[in-house]
Amino acid sequence: MKSHKKEIITVAILMAAAVVIFAGILKPEATQTKKCSLIYIPKIRDNTNDFWTSVISGCKMAAEEYESDLEILAPDKEENIEEQNKLLKKAIEQKPDAILFSPSSMDASDELLKEAKEKGIRITYIDSYTKEELQDLTVATDNVNAGRMLGEYARKLIDKDSKIAIVSHVKGVSTAVEREQGFREGLGDYADNIVDIVYCNSLYEKSYELAQELMRKYPDLELIAGMNEYSAVGVGRAVSDAGAKDKIAVVGVDCSQEAINLMEMGVYKGIIVQKAFRMGYIGVEETIHMLNGDAVEKNIDSGCELVTPENMYNSDIERLIFPFS
Amino acid sequence: MKISSKFKSIQSSIFCAVSILVLSAVLVVTVVSLRYTNSSIYENSVMYTQTIIKQLNQNIDSYISYMDNIASVIAQSGDAYKYLYSEKGYGATKDENYSEYRQRLVEQFKTILKGRADIRNIGIVREDKNSPSLFDNGLSVRNTYVDLNTQPWYADAVGKYDRYNLTSSHVQNVIKGERPWVITLSRGICNYTGTEAEDGVVFLDLNYSAISELCAQSSMGDKGYVFILDQNGNIVYHPQQQQLYNELQTENISLVMNAKSDIVTVGKGDDEKIYALSHSDITGWTIVGCMNMSELLRNSRQTRSIYVLVAVGLIIVALLISSLIARNITLPIQKLRDSMKSVQKGNFDIEDIEVISDNEIGSLTRSFNVMTHRIRELMEQNVKEQEQKRKIELKALQSQINPHFLYNTLDSIIWMAEGKKNEEVVIMTASLARLLRQSISNEDELVTVGQEIEYVRSYLTIQKMRYKDKLEFEIKADPSITQVPIIRLVLQPLVENAIYHGLKYKDSKGLLTVHGYMKGENAVIDITDDGVGMDEETLKHIYDKHKVNYRSNGVGVYNVQQRLVLYYGKDYGIIYHSEKGKGTTASVVIPGIQEESHEKS
Repeated sequence: MKSHKKEIITVAILMAAAVVIFAGILKPEATQTKKCSLIYIPKIRDNTNDFWTSVISGCKMAAEEYESDLEILAPDKEENIEEQNKLLKKAIEQKPDAILFSPSSMDASDELLKEAKEKGIRITYIDSYTKEELQDLTVATDNVNAGRMLGEYARKLIDKDSKIAIVSHVKGVSTAVEREQGFREGLGDYADNIVDIVYCNSLYEKSYELAQELMRKYPDLELIAGMNEYSAVGVGRAVSDAGAKDKIAVVGVDCSQEAINLMEMGVYKGIIVQKAFRMGYIGVEETIHMLNGDAVEKNIDSGCELVTPENMYNSDIERLIFPFS
Repeated sequence: MKISSKFKSIQSSIFCAVSILVLSAVLVVTVVSLRYTNSSIYENSVMYTQTIIKQLNQNIDSYISYMDNIASVIAQSGDAYKYLYSEKGYGATKDENYSEYRQRLVEQFKTILKGRADIRNIGIVREDKNSPSLFDNGLSVRNTYVDLNTQPWYADAVGKYDRYNLTSSHVQNVIKGERPWVITLSRGICNYTGTEAEDGVVFLDLNYSAISELCAQSSMGDKGYVFILDQNGNIVYHPQQQQLYNELQTENISLVMNAKSDIVTVGKGDDEKIYALSHSDITGWTIVGCMNMSELLRNSRQTRSIYVLVAVGLIIVALLISSLIARNITLPIQKLRDSMKSVQKGNFDIEDIEVISDNEIGSLTRSFNVMTHRIRELMEQNVKEQEQKRKIELKALQSQINPHFLYNTLDSIIWMAEGKKNEEVVIMTASLARLLRQSISNEDELVTVGQEIEYVRSYLTIQKMRYKDKLEFEIKADPSITQVPIIRLVLQPLVENAIYHGLKYKDSKGLLTVHGYMKGENAVIDITDDGVGMDEETLKHIYDKHKVNYRSNGVGVYNVQQRLVLYYGKDYGIIYHSEKGKGTTASVVIPGIQEESHEKS
């Protein structure tokens, strides 16, 4: 034959058409997300603390759903910055794809985090962050907003002459600073009535003692705000033990079963509950998305709700404060 | 061969037509069967799911009924109402049998809890915070901060004895220190004791172990799952309840609640889901089986791949076969065409085309072969005949010696003999004899220029003797030209022509010059006379046939010219130059070197 060239071209065109048509019929499978190795370092692991328990279980749930490896390295005390750094160092040595981190300090972990970044490890902050921006992603409650909601609610409980005290957790950490700021904003002109701010280093005993001391120091105190679970529960215990629940209103941030008990007893007048499970879940989910190269929002607010004795058994609040398992 | 012209070929047309036909046929069949597979897989899956969901619904109904049996047994057992409603049952004065009732109830509860891991709590309780109540193994204490009338499981069950009450998922907070997520089944306990105590309730808190096990048993594929809604659209059970509660997952509940048929499809593309619903009149719940469409379709993917593979294979085979067929059909045609082309160019010396098959093209080929044979034969015959004809013609032309010339010459000889001019008689007779010999004896078509010139010399000698005072001639021939072959009787007619038309009418003596020489590759013989010459009009008609007249030897310029052109081709022949009153030159131009073949033919 003189020339097969054209035949070959024709065949090729027809084949290409066939392939295109069949490719149209057979849609490609959905792309699988990559399996990632992640390490989460929370501030503390404590079974009595609903907040951290929920964050961790949210993380685990998301990791399981996305079939990724997640290791939890947790210190057993919240103010233990040294131990957290030790764990962070250990985590960096394992070279995971990403480290999820809830810094206990505004700056003490900067060196290590920079080292991690140099090694190509992605950093996600959960719940709190450092002064310097070292993270790729932050998932946290808008703590200013949380504080503001608490302040606005507290304002309704008291009048303009009522004295207010704040028991906060760790001086200088982002959550403490922002919640206090928001709380003051929410109180508005009542903020001038804040007589004292003390720090309990996230210890029930210390906040209990501090609350007792406050009650001694200011006998006409009408409202104490606890800025995290440890602070608020310590205050609640002290007020309950002192039999002052009708005299002193306790409001706080973060929930635990003890806090629920105290609310049922009428000690707690309001709690701001962070969506902890959601925070942990989204933290892991978005980190995996980021590692897969998908576009992610850099700052994600996981949200919070005000819980009062009146609404605590409403189904939407119920879902939030009683972990489903 | 150019590609553009190839596109017009029958082969490509056949190939393209067959290919397109086969391709579209295969595509249509494949698409139809794929569609059919998809829809049949879809229908089968839906039917299968519906069956499973109905089955699950029945299982859950019977599970709940079974739980209700436990609740009714307790509600109607004497111990429960006696324990709850005896006025003396609490406070300082206890019914003497109080602890007995309690003990029996505790034993009963323990037995039930031991046997059923899916019952989280069991208990009997009255709204009055000071009234007796009993939970689980008797050690749990009631959470007195809770107002039971605000709890649906209590408020909706109290005072109703004919039917149980079933809640959705909720947090059970009646027992101090415990707040589990459960589904509560409760029944009012009738007061048969006659005391005026307000009614109480027996409740069973069901954890999700039994229900989730039942739902997990219903295989819905890897991505499929089952969830349960109560009559208000609240989620009773969902495998991802935690995510749903934390707003990390959504389920299109309103769609399910408002669905009019048992099958609802939601979402699009990869997220397309099929909900199969089954409503239970016993529990009031709706069981929803959810299947992922993409997973269903993945099951059919293997089938599809086979279809597609087969289709692709078919297409390849079809393309190959169609190309083969096209080639087989067109190959003889192409051969025929090529051979026709060469015939068209005049080349009949081609080999016969091989007849491959006996079809139409075969007979066409055969006919073509016969035809070319015939044409070849005819042509050969024609060539032979033409040759023959030409020879005869030439012979005829050259053999004609004008009889008048013969008579005149003979007359001249007679007069000269009478005048006793012996010498002249001898010369003339010798010349005539030479002339006749040359014109008659020589059979060859070709002679040399030398012979031809000699012939002219003989002729001129005779003519000079006849026209004594009128004619003088001169013959010059380069030695190089004498051996050049030339067809016979070319020069003599021209010389004759020059004498009769040029010199004859001249008053004084005329001079005729014959001059042969080489000019380039051609041999040229000029016959020049200084006669009357010709005007242009005469010159124009010099080659015309009518110039033949009886007085010439019958050959004429026309015939000479015809023969020269016929033999040597158009580039050769006679060229006339003439000027009125001065004379005429006829130049015969022939090839200087001639091939052997020409001499022979």
